[in-house]
Amino acid sequence: MTTTAHPDTEITQRPAASTPRRRFSWGKIAAWGVMVIFLLITLFPFYWMLRTALSSNNALATDPSSLLPVGLNTGGFERVFGMQDVETAISQGGSGASINFWRYLLNSVIVATFITVVQTFSCAMAAYAFSRLRWRGREIVFLIFLGSLMIPQIFTLLPNFILIKNLGLVDTLLGVMLPTLFISSFAIFFLRQFFNNISREVEEAALIDGASKVRVFFTLVLPLSTAPLATLALLTYMTAWNEYFWALMVSYTDQSRVLTVALGVFRAQAPGTGPDWSGLMAATLIAAAPMLILFALFAKKIVNSIGFSGIK
Amino acid sequence: MNSPLHRAHATRTVPSPRSGAVLSRRRLLQGSAALATGTAGLASCGGTSAPAGATQIDYWLWDANQLPAYSAAIDLFMQKNPDVFVRVTQLGWDDYWTKLTASFVAEAGPDAFTDHLARYPEFLKLGVISPLDGLGPLDEIPPEQFQEGLQELWTGQDGTRYGIPKDYDTIAVMYDTAMLEEEGLSPDDLQDLDWNPEDGGSFEKMLARLSIDANGVRGDEDGFDPKNVVRYGMAGGGEIDYVGQSSWSPFALSTGWTFTDAETWGTHFNYDDERFVATMDWYFGLVDKGFFPPFGMFGDSSPAQTQVQSGVAALALAGSWMITTFNNMEGMELGIAPLPAGPVGHPVSMFNGLGDSISAQSEKKEEAARLIGFLASDEAQQLIGERAPFFPSTDAGTAAAIESYAAEGLDVTPFTDRVANGETGLFPLVENSASIMTIMQRAFDRCWMREIDGADFAAYNDRVNALFE
Repeated sequence: MTTTAHPDTEITQRPAASTPRRRFSWGKIAAWGVMVIFLLITLFPFYWMLRTALSSNNALATDPSSLLPVGLNTGGFERVFGMQDVETAISQGGSGASINFWRYLLNSVIVATFITVVQTFSCAMAAYAFSRLRWRGREIVFLIFLGSLMIPQIFTLLPNFILIKNLGLVDTLLGVMLPTLFISSFAIFFLRQFFNNISREVEEAALIDGASKVRVFFTLVLPLSTAPLATLALLTYMTAWNEYFWALMVSYTDQSRVLTVALGVFRAQAPGTGPDWSGLMAATLIAAAPMLILFALFAKKIVNSIGFSGIK
Repeated sequence: MNSPLHRAHATRTVPSPRSGAVLSRRRLLQGSAALATGTAGLASCGGTSAPAGATQIDYWLWDANQLPAYSAAIDLFMQKNPDVFVRVTQLGWDDYWTKLTASFVAEAGPDAFTDHLARYPEFLKLGVISPLDGLGPLDEIPPEQFQEGLQELWTGQDGTRYGIPKDYDTIAVMYDTAMLEEEGLSPDDLQDLDWNPEDGGSFEKMLARLSIDANGVRGDEDGFDPKNVVRYGMAGGGEIDYVGQSSWSPFALSTGWTFTDAETWGTHFNYDDERFVATMDWYFGLVDKGFFPPFGMFGDSSPAQTQVQSGVAALALAGSWMITTFNNMEGMELGIAPLPAGPVGHPVSMFNGLGDSISAQSEKKEEAARLIGFLASDEAQQLIGERAPFFPSTDAGTAAAIESYAAEGLDVTPFTDRVANGETGLFPLVENSASIMTIMQRAFDRCWMREIDGADFAAYNDRVNALFE
């Protein structure tokens, strides 16, 4: 008995089975519609910031609901970059303070970078100790450590300030960095969760092969943890970049003033004067830009590692 | 353990001891040392410091609009006093007081700073500001050098000076002359208005004339809808507080009412006085009539000048420190009119002023005294007056400011006339100002919300007076 295949039938059936059929679906259209609406709602504030930044501060109130810039000009951005003389800035509703933008930007980059590098590294070591090293009282110390997350910043402000003053570090970049330079309870907790998930067998094998704990940490644990370390670094950078209050307290002159504090001049200077809206919005856009770029580049990594470390 | 996973990782992650990627302890220490050196280097980078041989002093102020004028005067001071270097720090209003207070606690405050009448009694109580009598050049400054009453405001209950007046401010009416013309009115129509708590006088009639509802009906016409107003007669600012400097105080003061039982350092408030009660009922009653915005409609981000510029308010009571801000608003031509005369027969403006104080913690009081003494001199005051968007505290400075404004085509005499004519009421200089502020803000907000009447202020007044017992 012989069987015969019908090649034509097979050829025609296969593509039909493997190619997804694009069918019209009201559900899909509704989903896309909702997504587009949410996208617009999310992006509209950024557009409004840009529209206000490109408006004339002194003309804004003449047409407050206009979707387009009112009295289109770049004065707000010029003030942020310190490109306007004082008389022009005041005549446009700005402040009489001089803006040394690039110096403040450099200060912010230095502060955020140093804090990110040092804090991520030192917290990784601390997290490793809490996760892998066995020592008496480890869990209790960790709980106490976690408890420090509950202490509001305002409680530690003055003691920290007095310490920094006694160290002679007021109005220095090191003074701005120091309180958060080495330790962050959140960072240690975050990394400890991840380190707990690394296979103990891998580590034990390295130890049996003669590696020291230090080497295991640097050559095994850290390379395995690039995703959470990158996430943590990004979060740390964002936090350090956005820090305002401590930097405000410690900084007195341009040599230690960071961008967030410097841009405070666009808020109301005296009661009743109101903010320089176009300058404020231009400043906010510029100050947020580095963070938006970083987040765009690393968003996927953050989501992945947060899922991996069990923080949801 | 010999699982495939183990092998794979062991091979990849444990390099040979000779590998260049190994981070030895020595390398770690070298890296840490380099980091520490770099960080220390950063700590010392930059420099706004005194030249060799000069004593550095810190001077703080909050108003960025005042900064250019004071910077020019301070530069001149340093030219004349090369042994002193002044480091100027400017911060916005809110940040200023936070940082100043915290810095005093940490003993890291400035040597000299711009002070405010609402704050200095607290500083005095805390002992963080220094008496100025006996401080070298300050003894040579007579109180008569300043506008009358200014030095009294900066004199403590012990008769000692704690601040040197640096400027003063009064209140007037600001408006857009183009708007007035469109209404068929002229600036002269705003010149001699009067006010009383019974029927609001000609001032209320003007507010009614300038108020318009959504149907285009004016406030003085039949059918005006006070719940649906598109232009209010008078702007509502964010300063409706226990002082009411540019809101209710010109009305209350022009009835003969006074804040307390004494010109300065009073210990008994008069918020229960029948003149004050009647003023509150009239002032906040304007909300019911549709001539004044209801509570919550405008906030700090939509101040009076914005309301006038956008056309949602016709007139604004505003302080002299706002002249430049109003004048710079696009699309409007600034007009300034005097306050309406009250039952006492003339207008009365609150008289307030800033002063320079010296920190009690400063180790350079002599140098700080030289600085603030210079800032009060005719030479500095004229320099400041020519550049300043406010009135300096001395006659010479005020004259320079009036000339400077006149050159811009602005007649600012509705502000200065109040001082020249003695038609002012002093800012309520008292102890416990922070507590009073807290208690009374609730009362003013509730009255503005139309929840309480003027008579209900008596209960709040009792609470305030209890603070002095």
